[in-house]
Parts: sequence; structure tokens; C-alpha cells
Amino acid sequence: MHNKDKKKSRRRITRLLGQWLLLCVCIALICTWLFVYFLQNWLSDRETQTLLSINISDVTADISDASDENLLALTHTVADLLEAGETDLDAIAEAYSIAEINVVNRDGVITASTYASFLGYQMADGAQSGEFCVLLGDAEEYVQSYQPISYDESISRKYAGVSLSDGGFVQVGYDAEEFQKDIDAQVIGATRNRHVGQSGYVLISDASGVIVSDRNGGEGQDLSVTGITLDTDDLQAGEMFRTEVYGESCFCMYDETEGYYIISVLPASEALASRNTAVATTVAMELIVFACEFLLICFLMWQLVVKNIYKINDSLSEITAGHLDVKVDVCTNREFTALSQDINATVDTLKRYIAETAARMDQELAYAKEIQYASLPGIFPPYTDCVQFDLFASMHTAREVGGDFYDFYFVGEDRLAFLVADVSGKGIPAAMFMMRAKTLIKGLAESGMEVNEVFTRANTRLCENNEANMFVTAWLGVLHLKTGLVEYVNAGHNPPLVHCAEPQPAGSQNGKGQAFRYLKSRPGFVLAGMEGIRYRKNELRLSPGDTVFLYTDGITEATDEQMRLYGEERLRSVVNSSRMTPEELCAAVKADVDTFVGGAPQFDDITMLALTYKGDGAEPHEQSEDAACAL
Amino acid sequence: MNINQTVNGSSLTMCLSGRLDTVTAPQLEEALKNSLAGVSLLTFDFADLAYISSAGLRVLLFAQKTMNKQGSMVIRNVNETIMEVFEITGFRDILTIA
Repeated sequence: MHNKDKKKSRRRITRLLGQWLLLCVCIALICTWLFVYFLQNWLSDRETQTLLSINISDVTADISDASDENLLALTHTVADLLEAGETDLDAIAEAYSIAEINVVNRDGVITASTYASFLGYQMADGAQSGEFCVLLGDAEEYVQSYQPISYDESISRKYAGVSLSDGGFVQVGYDAEEFQKDIDAQVIGATRNRHVGQSGYVLISDASGVIVSDRNGGEGQDLSVTGITLDTDDLQAGEMFRTEVYGESCFCMYDETEGYYIISVLPASEALASRNTAVATTVAMELIVFACEFLLICFLMWQLVVKNIYKINDSLSEITAGHLDVKVDVCTNREFTALSQDINATVDTLKRYIAETAARMDQELAYAKEIQYASLPGIFPPYTDCVQFDLFASMHTAREVGGDFYDFYFVGEDRLAFLVADVSGKGIPAAMFMMRAKTLIKGLAESGMEVNEVFTRANTRLCENNEANMFVTAWLGVLHLKTGLVEYVNAGHNPPLVHCAEPQPAGSQNGKGQAFRYLKSRPGFVLAGMEGIRYRKNELRLSPGDTVFLYTDGITEATDEQMRLYGEERLRSVVNSSRMTPEELCAAVKADVDTFVGGAPQFDDITMLALTYKGDGAEPHEQSEDAACAL
Repeated sequence: MNINQTVNGSSLTMCLSGRLDTVTAPQLEEALKNSLAGVSLLTFDFADLAYISSAGLRVLLFAQKTMNKQGSMVIRNVNETIMEVFEITGFRDILTIA
């Protein structure tokens, strides 16, 4: 039972420890997982953004290169025509689908133009037009990107300029529709085979939203067929956004160049694949690492702490169970060594105190035993000048002190009182109650009252304040030395054995003469058991040579190792085995009880008293001596 | 020793088995102290009781004294050995043996 409880509590401690550790590990694991997820997400976003913008800038560069080359070639053609003396700008513009031709002199002033209103315009006055002033210096040619013009911001146009031999230059303006016709093929070429990552691509639409290049074959259709809506007011160029493209969730980014919208598209599945792989790998790795940590910590906790605690607990249990010589010996580390030493020191101190207390108790019990034995008459034969009787008594306590007692004393000139009593229980309480009963009975008996009155009064007195419910069984007899008459009273005590030389009257038990028989009178109730009990007096007549043997139940209830009782029959057969003096009788009974009990411990006190009546000295065959026995 | 208690209203029955001696008597005394409150009829069944010592008698005396104040006490199925003890000690006169 105790062991089972201990095992259960052990399981509980280990489990509790494991549970808390597991909880901590799980929280740490989830935190790192979340951190990894957000970090990888951020990294993946940045990577996607970089990928998209690199592709856009590549395509943008390709397109503007193509556009620049195309327009410069055209401008050189116009310059060549002008150098050759051609002056009809409108005709040239018409022939080459040019939107605008301006001829600028060396002072930077427009001297001829397809727009009459531009004549006399100082090129340096506008930011966009001013850039062309480089041609007044050393520069031979200059190309601008497609952008709003200085003259009218609502018009966007692409310009190129080539210096003329007179120190001025010619500037050619081209509308998007026109130059896009020239370069669409190149634009398509620049994007058709371009891959953004593995499966991403670049889409190009013109300013009106018609697709120019699309690997998925959407050329000529409106951009909306792809699912992309470019709201250029809300969405900044170069900003990444996520939308459905041809039904697939994609990350997109756009830029604007030369009147084209360049949109790079990367399917989300690809963009997030690397993130997902990274997250999954990290999660798996962390799971393994944390599991290993958990097991390692559990193992270390068990090995370094819990196991040692259990070891100490086991030793303590043994010590608690009474094995005070057990030493706690856990020396795996300094703390446990110190703890072990402290416990051992405490136990040693405790042992010393216990030994001291035990020694004191032993000493006190030894004194108590001495006092108890001294209170019983111990000199045999007791009255050397009395020839009418021979008496012997003995007491063997089960513990140091006992609850049995015998006593004998004269209660008149020729009346000898003798008794044996047994207090319920054993040890000190019984011994103290015994002393009280013994003194009380002796006092009452010596006052000369009848034996039954002695017990009636003793009972009343012993019942007072008897909270412990102790009681005494006692058998008291008074022998008239002259007549051999024994007046006796029995308070719940074992019936004595009586040896009568003459056959007893009919009605007595075991009525054969020449042998011991049990004197089974009807007993009164035990002393101190209940108030108001009245005891009856009985009589017995002894003839010279008759013997009365009193004993306590320590004899009849002595048990051997098989828990068998000694019993009344065995006692009777021992006392009947031969004629013996009182002393021999007591010794024979004690020896037989010891033989019977064998190795079993003595449970109860063993007390006996044997009295042989030898007759009054006046008897003819006995020597004459009427002198009363001395008290 | 085993004590088997049965409560039926205000009557309590205690079936004892084994030996009622110095070792086991305190156990019975404890059981009695715990359950005698409010009991008006205490019945002991000694059918399976093999032996009673003076310590056991002391507890019976305690029970009898307690029950004298609050009702009655009866002992049933007393075997010969124990009856002899009751007779020798005079307990037979103060106990109700049925």
C-alpha cells in the first residue's frame, strides 16, 4: 500500500516536470516558428520585389534603347535632308509621319518649325526643351524619353536632336503612336522570351490599355482580359501588388516607359514556394532540435535531481520505518552531498536523543520494578516461627513492571490472609493501579472485617475516578490456623486449585480426594468494574496437608508458537504429578509453562501462590506449639 | 481481528472475528468511541470470536457502561471458551448474553 502510493507520487512528479517542460518547449517552438514565418515572408516579399523590378528595368532599358535608336536614325535622316537644302518641313514631316520638326539656330531660338507658333521660341526657356541646348556645344546628338513637352504639358512626345553644320540643330518630335509602330516588333522581341523567375513573365500594354506583348497570346486585346486593372492614380510605378492574372494569384509590378506599361508577373505559388520550403525546413529542423533538447533536459533532470531526490526519499522512508542506521549517501554533486550529510547528522542526533531517552526510561523502569517487587513480601519461608502452614509465592512480569500481585499477611492472631490479583492490562498503568488496589485491600483486610466486606468496600473505592476503565480480578482467602477453615471471596478471578486430603462433600467438582481440583465457586464481578457490587463469602475447610494453589491467567492463557493455550487441564496435571512443597510446586509450574511456551514471547504476567496447611500445633501427630504466629 | 459494523436506525451490530486481546482491543475501543453516539441498542455478534483477554473485557466493560446510560447492549453467539471467561470473571452477571 505504502509502496504503491510512493510509486504513484513518483509518477506524478516526473509527469508534472515533463508536462511543464513540454509546455515551455512548445511555447518556445511556436514563438520561433512565428518568427521564422514572418522573417521568411518578409525576405520572400523583398526577393519577389527585386525579381520583378529587375525584369521591369531590363525591359524598360531595352525599349528605350530601341526607341532612342529608331528616333535618332530618323532625326539624322531629317538633318541630312536639311543639310542637303530641303526646306519644306511639312513635307518632310508628312513623308516620315513625324509630328514636329524644329530648326534651331546657334542662339537656341527656333527659326523654322512645323508649328508656326513655335517660331522665335527660346529653347532654354523650358526645362524639357532646355536640355537640347547641349547640342549648341560639343554634343552631336541628343535623345529624350517620351514625356510632356514644355510648350504644352498636356501633350507627351519623344524628341531627338542632331546638330547641324551651321552651329544650330534640328529637333524632331515623334508621337507615341508613330514610334510604337516602328518598335513594337522589337518590344515583343524583348519580352516574348523573357522569364521572370521560373514561370513568371512580362506583359506590355500601350497607353490605351491594349496588350502589345503577352506570352499567353493576349496581343491586341484589352489588358482587362488578363484580369489586371492598372489604376495608375492609386498604384505607384514600382510598387508590388497582388492580383489574379489569367485566374492565377500572382505578384505584379508595373512601370511606364515610352508610352508603354510594362507589367512583370510572378505567380504567387512560385514566389511563395521558396518561403514555404524555408519555413517547412526550419520547422522540421526546430522540431527535431527542440525534441532533442526536451529529452536531454528530462534526462538530465532525472539523472541529476529527481533520481537523487528519490534516492534520499527511499533512505528517509527506511529511517522513518525505524532503521536509524541507514545512511543517506547521494554524492553526485556538492548540493546533494551537503544534504545527505545534513540528514545523516540529524539522524545521528536523533539517535543519540532516543538512546538517552531509552536509557533514562530503562533506568526509571528498573527503579519501578525494584519498588514493585519490594512491595511484595519476598522472604520465604515468611514466618519462620509459624509451623501451621508453608507458603510460597512468585511473580514474573511480562514487561519490567506488571499488573499482577500476590500478598499475604495476618489479619488477626491466628488468621492469615492471602490473595492473588490481576489488573487488566500491562505495564506502567497496570502497575500503578495494582499498587493502589494492593494497599487498599490490605488496609481494609487488616481492619478485621469479613472478606466479602473487604471486596465490597474495595470495589466502591476503586470505582471512584476510574476513567481508564481498569479493573482487577482477585481471589482473597483468610485461613484460620486453628481450624483450617478458609473464608474466601472471588472477584472474577481464575478458580484456585485445591488439594484436599479428604474427599469433599458431594457437589464439589473433581470430587476425588488425593488430588488437586478446581474450586469453582460462583465468582463475583471484577473489582473496580462497576459500582454497587456486593460480594459473597464462601468457605472451604482444609485438613492438615491440604494445599491451595492460586495463580493468574498468565499461566492458563500462556500461548506457544502455534498460538495454542496452556489451559487449565495441563496446569492440573502438572500440580498433580507428585506431592510437592509450595516452593517446589511453583517452580514445577513455572518450568512447565516455560517448556510449553518455548520460543514464543511471554504475553502476560505470571503469578502464583501456594499454601499448604499443616494443621494446628495441637494435632496429635504434629508437634505442639500454640503460640500465635508473629505478625 | 476484524470488526464488521451494521447500522440500522439507532441500533448498531458489531460482528467480531479473530482474537480480542491486548493488541486488538484498542481497535475495538476506537471503533466504539466513533460510532456509539446516538445508538440505543448495541449488539455484539461473537460467532467468529475465538478468544478474549482481560484487555478485551475492559473494552466490553466500557461498552456496557456507556450503553447503560443510553440504551442496552446484547451479546449473541458466545462460544464456550468465551462464556467460561465471562463466568470466571463474573462478567456474565453484568452482561446481557442472548
